[in-house]
Amino acid sequence: MADTKENVTPVYDDAALAAEYLAKRQARIEEDLKQPFDPDCILEVRHLRKCFPMKKTFTGKVTRELVAVDDVSFKLKSGETLGIVGESGCGKTTTGRAILKLHEPSGGQIIFNGQDITHFDSKQMRQIRKEMQIIFQDPYSSLPPRDTVGGILSEPVEVHGIVPKDQVKDYVLELMEKCGLRDYYFERYPHEFSGGQRQRICIARALSVNPKLVICDEPVSALDVSIQAQIINLLKKLQRDMNLAYVFISHDLSVVKFISDKILVMYLGAVMEFGTKEDIFRSPLHPYTKALFSAVPNPDPTAKTERIKLEGDIPSPANPPKGCRFHTRCPYAKEICKHVTPEYRQYGEGHFAACHLLEQE
Amino acid sequence: MSIFKKEKGTRNYLTNKEIKAIAKSNAQEMKRLEAYKNRKCEESEFLTEMKNPENILEIEDLHTSFFTEQGVVKAVNGVSYDVPKNAVVGVVGESGCGKSVTSMSVMRLIQGPTGQIVDGSIRFKSHEYKRNEKGEPILKAGSTTEYEMVDKVYDIAKMPIHEIHRIRGKQIAMIFQEPMTSLNPVFTIGEQLDEVTFFHIPGATKEMAKAKSEEMLRLVGIIPENVYGAFPHELSGGMRQRVMIAMALAAEPRLIIADEPTTALDVTIQAQILDLLQDIKNKIDGSILLITHDLGVIAEMADYVVVMYAGKVIEKGTVYEIFQDPKHPYTIGLQKSKPTMNLDDGTELYNIPGNVPNPINMPGYCYFKERCAMCTRKCSGDYPGMVQVSPTHFVACHLYDEEKNNG
Repeated sequence: MADTKENVTPVYDDAALAAEYLAKRQARIEEDLKQPFDPDCILEVRHLRKCFPMKKTFTGKVTRELVAVDDVSFKLKSGETLGIVGESGCGKTTTGRAILKLHEPSGGQIIFNGQDITHFDSKQMRQIRKEMQIIFQDPYSSLPPRDTVGGILSEPVEVHGIVPKDQVKDYVLELMEKCGLRDYYFERYPHEFSGGQRQRICIARALSVNPKLVICDEPVSALDVSIQAQIINLLKKLQRDMNLAYVFISHDLSVVKFISDKILVMYLGAVMEFGTKEDIFRSPLHPYTKALFSAVPNPDPTAKTERIKLEGDIPSPANPPKGCRFHTRCPYAKEICKHVTPEYRQYGEGHFAACHLLEQE
Repeated sequence: MSIFKKEKGTRNYLTNKEIKAIAKSNAQEMKRLEAYKNRKCEESEFLTEMKNPENILEIEDLHTSFFTEQGVVKAVNGVSYDVPKNAVVGVVGESGCGKSVTSMSVMRLIQGPTGQIVDGSIRFKSHEYKRNEKGEPILKAGSTTEYEMVDKVYDIAKMPIHEIHRIRGKQIAMIFQEPMTSLNPVFTIGEQLDEVTFFHIPGATKEMAKAKSEEMLRLVGIIPENVYGAFPHELSGGMRQRVMIAMALAAEPRLIIADEPTTALDVTIQAQILDLLQDIKNKIDGSILLITHDLGVIAEMADYVVVMYAGKVIEKGTVYEIFQDPKHPYTIGLQKSKPTMNLDDGTELYNIPGNVPNPINMPGYCYFKERCAMCTRKCSGDYPGMVQVSPTHFVACHLYDEEKNNG
């Protein structure tokens, strides 16, 4: 019996399978979106989707879309850090920006502080903006060159009316001290600073409005190792002091591991695995997570780790592979992976993954 | 407000008078060095001997400076290290420490007239065609395709710039960090690869060049049919870097300088490229000079490691010595400040306080003194010299001075 089962290769009808999958998913998403909000969480993202138009007809109708983020869900509590890892083009930055509504989400829900902000307009967002802030990757291009550090840091405080006008300067000086900036930097311009100092200015600017959530989009990637450690420690210290929630986006796994409580692994816009740091690093489930971790060079010349080799390049997100997105590079891919999209399921407490191999076990 | 007043003598600008003085001295220096670079001279003037015949490249006391409007930036300030035959030498350091400028000096790609090699020597053992008086290669007796070869040692730092084509690209090839900007966007991959063969192999025909290019593409794991006629923008980052490696290999170099070859790539692609480099090193029987800021890459690839800081070599040794028994406080700090993939790191990362000092007006004492956790009274004195702690392990730090005196 077992023999015949192995010999018969099932015939897959791709179109029918895709339709079935979409219908099933749509039903699940609709059901999920009706659930009440989790009151413990500062940020709850449900089935977030972001598409960019690639081709439009003359009348402006979109005929082809690039799905940058497809069905991302997670919950985040105050004082926690969520790390998003993945290779370039996997949609981690788009996710971060969609949460802040710097990109208008195409589907799903973003629940911030008990409010559904998915369809807020820019006027309503203004109130929310002071509670969620972003730190960008490149500190060289994200600071205005014509403004002094004092000006850069005072502006958000004045705009949002955080403190009365006559106290702004003292407030900013206090903030600068917290972020490890000397008080005489107040009258200096960004070009006078090194990368690490500029990143401190960016952090101070983000924190000047007392946010509850900070999206850190590769904040240490442009920095040297010794400066990187300073910035990571600063971020951790500020999180403890101000009870901040971070969404930490990075391609550097060791940094994400160090700072995060929960980790989201993305590949080509979809979530491959989600779980606590311990789960993801001690017992990764998805083959992509395993391969990603084994690819990180080990700074110990004696350790000879067996590496899971991934062949080939990342496929274009404009034309992702059918079935499981990872099957083109997966060393364990089976016939089913090429046709059927695996479901995102729970395997253990708070540990989710999307892989056919796990389902069969 | 009093706190914004600058302390006496700490102005952060230059006066007009100072700018003029700098410009004048810069102009003189640049003119002298530029004339030296473009001089015509006999070959004997830049022929030399290797100190150790086992080495393929010896850099000794190299000084490369940039004459800027703010003053002279000594980007490379007395760097010495060797690249042995069939070895991978890793150079590691933070940005601005001079690791790339050293390699650019070896290739003589320093942008003049502001950038100049001021002093020092770069000895390279070249294996090249024996040439007659007209400069044509001599055929081996009884052969029509094989040429007579000869070993020569050049001092690259003293070579006039128009003689450098003997070495650049042919004997020493370079792989750059950003493959998109280093490939020409208006020519196909095939055309760019063929050019290497045309330029460096005498009497190369179109068919020969194409065959060679396809062989090189296969060597780096690319199917030539798909890529030979493609333009650089049609390829992914990893593929472009493979093409760069193929291009570097096309002239059969003896030394490959890889300047941050994987920094712009994703980890899974990085793993592929590192495997490829390791593989190729064994195939071509040459050496690799690997420049990177990633300690993990160094640990995996290199046989010897050179640690640079602010234009100087502060420690060098074999990879085991540097990673298991680091001596210099900077090397120790650098390794501790990198989070590892182990889960039990603790809650705080070790960090080296402060920043790299301003490259103009470097202090007379140890450049690392202000950031060092282990500095002693002695550190305010002269810049520490290189101390040998084992046959292959050298460190420039006053902490180890006594051991030298005792031993």
